[in-house]
Amino acid sequence: MDMGIKMEQKHLFGILYVCLVMSILAGVLVHLFIPSHAAFLWQEIPGFSAIYGFIGCILIIIVSKALGHYWLQKEEDYYEKH
Amino acid sequence: MIEWLHPGLIFILGALLIPVLKGKWKQIYLLLLPIVALIDLLYMSKGVFWRLPLLEYELVFGRVDQLSLVFGYVFVIASFCMTLYALHVKEDGQHVAAFLYVGSTLGVVFAGDLFTLYLFWEVMAFSSLFLIWYRKTKASSEAGFRYIMVHIFGGICLLAGIILHLQNTGSIAFDSFNWGTGWGYLSSYFILVGFLINAAVPPLHAWLSDAYPEATVTGAVFLTAFTTKSAIYVLIRGFPGVELLIWLGAIMAVYGVIYAVLATDARRLLAYSIISQGGYMVAGVGIGTWMAINGSIAHALSCILYMALLFMGAGAVLEMTGRSKFTELGGLYKYMPLTFWLYMIGAFSISGFPLFSGFVSKTMVIGSAAIVHQPIVWLLLEGAAIGTFLVAGLKLPYLTWFARKEKGPVVEVKAKEPPKNMLAAMGVTAFLCIFIGVYPQALYGILPYAVDYAPYAAGHVVAMSQLLLFTFVAFWLLRGMLHGTPTITLDTDWFYRIAGKRFIWFCEKPLLDFADSIDRVLKDLANSFAWFSRNPTAASRIMLLTIGAVVARPFNPAYMRYERDLEELRGMYPGETVHRVAIGTGVLLVLMFFTLYLIIYLTHGVLWV
Repeated sequence: MDMGIKMEQKHLFGILYVCLVMSILAGVLVHLFIPSHAAFLWQEIPGFSAIYGFIGCILIIIVSKALGHYWLQKEEDYYEKH
Repeated sequence: MIEWLHPGLIFILGALLIPVLKGKWKQIYLLLLPIVALIDLLYMSKGVFWRLPLLEYELVFGRVDQLSLVFGYVFVIASFCMTLYALHVKEDGQHVAAFLYVGSTLGVVFAGDLFTLYLFWEVMAFSSLFLIWYRKTKASSEAGFRYIMVHIFGGICLLAGIILHLQNTGSIAFDSFNWGTGWGYLSSYFILVGFLINAAVPPLHAWLSDAYPEATVTGAVFLTAFTTKSAIYVLIRGFPGVELLIWLGAIMAVYGVIYAVLATDARRLLAYSIISQGGYMVAGVGIGTWMAINGSIAHALSCILYMALLFMGAGAVLEMTGRSKFTELGGLYKYMPLTFWLYMIGAFSISGFPLFSGFVSKTMVIGSAAIVHQPIVWLLLEGAAIGTFLVAGLKLPYLTWFARKEKGPVVEVKAKEPPKNMLAAMGVTAFLCIFIGVYPQALYGILPYAVDYAPYAAGHVVAMSQLLLFTFVAFWLLRGMLHGTPTITLDTDWFYRIAGKRFIWFCEKPLLDFADSIDRVLKDLANSFAWFSRNPTAASRIMLLTIGAVVARPFNPAYMRYERDLEELRGMYPGETVHRVAIGTGVLLVLMFFTLYLIIYLTHGVLWV
């Protein structure tokens, strides 16, 4: 990878960090100032969506990879052989 | 009130002229048909048109109300974009198949009775088959066969349900079906299975992820929209508020995502995303409140557009590089940046980024799950939203346009942007995706129920942004796990691909062997009877001696003689027929028999009548 792309990547990650922080801050602000009509308990937690997004994504990757590895994934010519 | 031409008929009859035209004229004609159909739709008044008496029933080809109109609009608009995308295709057959497919879907949408529905349902299945077969590879022809087999099965279920329904109610009107548990609802169950197959609800979904990735580049784009979304339409008509659908939908949404994570082929990943997206709509139909039904419809409409866009993007890569496997792709951004960005608009839409179309429709369904207080459904649907962004918004573009393969032989792909018509089609579709996202009133305004939902409430926007941003963080940390390996993932098509094969093997080998052995035993039995009856006395002597020889062997040291006698007898068999009786004896026996009979007759009367 050449320098230009690396710089650009660094730049993009800067933006990402700012966005992450801002979304959390906005979440807290919404939580404080807008009366909530939360249907579920967990919606009262500020930043629940961030936590769910992060943990959910990790879970989805790990669970599906485990399912694939131990059970579902076969070599490409599986249907020709069997 | 003017009864306009049926928009489906414009496509179906219009398709017949395609092979006649040449070059530029054909292209203009192809683009003109959807526009004519759209104008026709816009000026169509609501009501019930095009009734046709058949025997004692009345076929209704045009039930025009807000629900059917909305689907009609979007199907026709989408077909314009797809036709533009396929404009460079030289084979007339592909265009004809696509137009028949679109036309029959419109037939389904406007069908007011079950016979008409069934008719167009079947045309839809068979015309779409050719969009797969035109790929002309071994894989596509086999997948096409499996595809049509499943759809024929679905069609038979639908027909069985319709006939039972007709028997129970005496009516062929297509309205919502009775629902409950018990044999009395058998007709509804059959019809529901028929609908669920087309909606690709697990475990009846495998035809989709099996066949769509094998379709032609342009055919796959058509396939994404019509079969599954028209199935959602008929579910809304027939089974609103059926609770089973909530759970099927929620599971379906997550199921699709899990398989998409495992998918190693770009278009297969997207095919699983179709299934996952369908989950929201099916769940919405199951919830059945006005807002949920509205959400289902809105999501079906935006899904038609962004799914087409995503398949156009993946198709453009396949068209230009000949590759769709992640193991063979990577680093294409240098060559196809425009395709990448257009694809990403579709990806942001499907992921539900604010200002893109998925956001204004997906959150309606998730929101109505919260209103009817279904926490598990809510978590599943929200989880599927994470997964959708992960697979369609991150995994696919990352592995296609960026990630380079360090290991293995470097496969340098020399690619360039696709033809102008493909780019233009993607541009138009991308515009529509953003338009719906920025101006959701355009979509909400045509929904059948009044919409009381503000997608851009601060809470919604922030929650969705957090969800997606932190999904990206998790993806970036684990991106190494997503690199494809050359594998396939088993799905429920295993049951008809392997179990089916094994069943046939079972019939051909063990079952036939068993039948053969029974055959042999019976033949031996018959033969031994024949042998016995040739000379019963000698035969019974041989049998007695045989038994004697076996029994006497341990006790009698002279059993050898027995054996010798036996050999001799066997050698002579059947020999001379035994004990000839003089004819007089025979006559005497007969006379005795008659006398006996006479005595019985005189004393007891007739023994049998």
